[in-house]
Amino acid sequence: MNLFSQAFQKNISAAKMFIFFSRLMDRPVFDKEAREVGEIYDIIVKPSQVYPISDGLIIRKGFPNRRYATIAWQDIERLDKNGAKLKISKSQLVFNQIHDEKKELTLRRDVLDQQVVDTYNHKVIRVNDIQLLTVEQALMIAHVDISTRGLFRRLGFEKSVDLVVRLFNPKAKYLSDERLISWKYIQPLTINPVSMTIKIDVPQKNLANIPAADLGDIFLDLNINHQIALFKSLNLANKTKIFTNIDFKTQRSILDEMDDHELSELLNNIPADEATDFLEKLPSEKTKHILSLIENKYSKRLSQLLGYSEDSAGGLMTTEYIAFAKETTVQSALNQIREFKFKSEPAQFVYIIDETNHFIGATNFRRLILANPQEPISNSAFPKTYFVHLDSSVKEVAYLMEKYKYFVIPVVNEDNVLQGIITVDDILSQLIAFAWRRLKKIKIIQKT
Amino acid sequence: MKNLKSFWAKTLIFLSVMGPGIITANVDNDAGGITTYSVAGAHFGYALIWSFIPIIIALVIIQEMCSRMAVVTGKGLADLIREEFGVRVTFYAMLVLILSNIFNTISEFAGIAASAELFGISKYLLVPICALFVWWLIVKGTYKSVEKVFLVACLFYVCYIVSGFLSKPDWKTIASSSISPSFHFDKAYIFMLIGVVGTTIAPWMQFYQQSSVVEKGIRLENYKYSRLDVIIGAFVVNIIAIFIIIVCANTLFAHGIRIETAKDAALALKPLAGQYCFYLFAFGLLNASVFSACILPLSTAYSVCEGMGWEIGVNRTFKEAPQFYSLYTIIIAIGAAIILIPGVKLVPIMLVSQATNGILLPFVLIFMLLLVNNKRLMGKYTNSRFYNFCTIIIILVMIILSLILFFTAFIQ
Repeated sequence: MNLFSQAFQKNISAAKMFIFFSRLMDRPVFDKEAREVGEIYDIIVKPSQVYPISDGLIIRKGFPNRRYATIAWQDIERLDKNGAKLKISKSQLVFNQIHDEKKELTLRRDVLDQQVVDTYNHKVIRVNDIQLLTVEQALMIAHVDISTRGLFRRLGFEKSVDLVVRLFNPKAKYLSDERLISWKYIQPLTINPVSMTIKIDVPQKNLANIPAADLGDIFLDLNINHQIALFKSLNLANKTKIFTNIDFKTQRSILDEMDDHELSELLNNIPADEATDFLEKLPSEKTKHILSLIENKYSKRLSQLLGYSEDSAGGLMTTEYIAFAKETTVQSALNQIREFKFKSEPAQFVYIIDETNHFIGATNFRRLILANPQEPISNSAFPKTYFVHLDSSVKEVAYLMEKYKYFVIPVVNEDNVLQGIITVDDILSQLIAFAWRRLKKIKIIQKT
Repeated sequence: MKNLKSFWAKTLIFLSVMGPGIITANVDNDAGGITTYSVAGAHFGYALIWSFIPIIIALVIIQEMCSRMAVVTGKGLADLIREEFGVRVTFYAMLVLILSNIFNTISEFAGIAASAELFGISKYLLVPICALFVWWLIVKGTYKSVEKVFLVACLFYVCYIVSGFLSKPDWKTIASSSISPSFHFDKAYIFMLIGVVGTTIAPWMQFYQQSSVVEKGIRLENYKYSRLDVIIGAFVVNIIAIFIIIVCANTLFAHGIRIETAKDAALALKPLAGQYCFYLFAFGLLNASVFSACILPLSTAYSVCEGMGWEIGVNRTFKEAPQFYSLYTIIIAIGAAIILIPGVKLVPIMLVSQATNGILLPFVLIFMLLLVNNKRLMGKYTNSRFYNFCTIIIILVMIILSLILFFTAFIQ
């Protein structure tokens, strides 16, 4: 975009010209013969590199029968806090009852007063004002203002409130508190009426860089329509990330909005323990339906996991682990590990089993790396590895893991066949819930 | 067998969705409401009972729209007003809402003080205790636990029904007077009628109902249960109001006793209907006042934070949502403190509260009508033409009544 790059270069040398959108709103608009034709209502912007740039002006006239006209940006001669002057004449304007710009982003409809995601502070915020940068003839969205001062500016009290504050405390934090957030961190939540998704301007929106737990929190601050639209707009990796970090109620709402294909895609990518946590809360018919959508091998494992009680070792474990037959050489084990692809991140432990999957022992990556590559893997096993049974209680599991300082503990069935592993994070979340319920000292910030 | 199973399944879903409608409606029978109904019963006997039929219809229609907007958009009413009508309108609406709810809260604490006197407890003891309880409940609770407490409080309204039966009403006259409207063109009667309508449909109710449905996260497919919640709420609240009128009509009106407040009513009941009736009536007043003293500040804090874009939530801590909890705390503090001022006059407070309600209600109803018919927000869930027709009539009637109430509040 030529205009943009030019503007950007100019910007460095020329004085920066910032203006708040609230100062432009409702200002008069004149045509080329200086006749008043209406007032500034909204500004249409188009995506540019990082900061969107103005593309059109919507003017409004009449009350109570409001009518709107859209003007291309090149037809504007000047636009500042005194209003706008057009290059065209009154007769060239087409006024309509509605202003229905389906695709573009417009400031008043989509940003001002709306909720947006602040991807820098990981929060959902409400926009009080928008700061625009004048470059050449165009305007660029620079910042959004979320301060209380911005609120007063909108109400027309900024000067009087400033005066009062200055009177009492000239160094008040309020006066310097701009709380402007750069547009590059702002993700608007406009839902496209056709695709029902939210347009995400990758890569600068950084949604992908937010830690999963924070992303889940942001998500819970949105209303249901935004949640669904945002979810649909994400890529599979982010979908998985969010889905495992939100509460069951929200999971269900999202689930209802997905078709079978999306559903199977999502569930095939969720770690088995998370998937069972979710599936066991669903009504049994729904669970059956979902299991029928998932890859055969995986769904078998899931339905097996679903058979165990929620607070037993069987219910807690995941079936993703690395196991080798005891005769495997260290060399070939290491080669196979390099080729493994895991949905979750199993801790760096490797289990050793016999030809009928009976549990023999465990080793870790460190021991494997240090071992002689030609030796069988069983030679590098820990002297003794404790394990739990499928029906062991959470308490037993926690007790053993604490006692032997395990990050991971294997789970076997009554015939000593290896069934899965429990990682410390699964046990921790159980224990935290347990402790909080008992002690009630720490408030559970449970978003219901 | 299968039918039975699906019946239970449906009942379970309803129980999980139930709450916002019933709670909002019941808060309506607050200290001010009980006073109005008592006076109406004592001065006009059964003559006003017919008005509850149109009130139920109006209440259902208005509250149903809130509930529907909440479920479809997932946003509170203040949220929607801010997003669609801008910050200026929202700011002034919220200012009036705060003002009106502060006065309403004061009158709830007045109700607590009155019931303290009825039970022979010092109001300087009971009012601060109740204020602390109410504050603690929200600051320390989560949405789920708070809602459970509220639902239990709703159950205690049964006192009024029991006391209604204790006063041995004449059911035949009640039935006939509720079916055949008897309208008197007499000034006192008309004012009483406006008062009854005005206390039953108040602007905070729309905000509260919508926010609590959103907070509860009710899904679109369960919307029909949410509607049932609204309808049950509207019926229950009006049935209780009718029973309050019955008690007073049966005893006070029959003996020609004039009263000014709910406290007068309770005291006058003692010799006429007996000790139990008196205690039930007084306990009902206490329950209603505490319950409403909790919801009104809560509803205000919700709406204002929604509109201004501050962090909200019963589920958050003080640090996470400072404005929310400050607002809530301040309103309770003001409400309780004013009642503790010795010799404070309550009548002007009641009048200001009525007047602010009267100013706000028409605006809120018009906003609602515009929002609920906005295709971009509501999709296929906008009002039908018939529904709009009914709503417009209700709004017009409410505007006229509010205007009359507003002006008379100052002329008197």
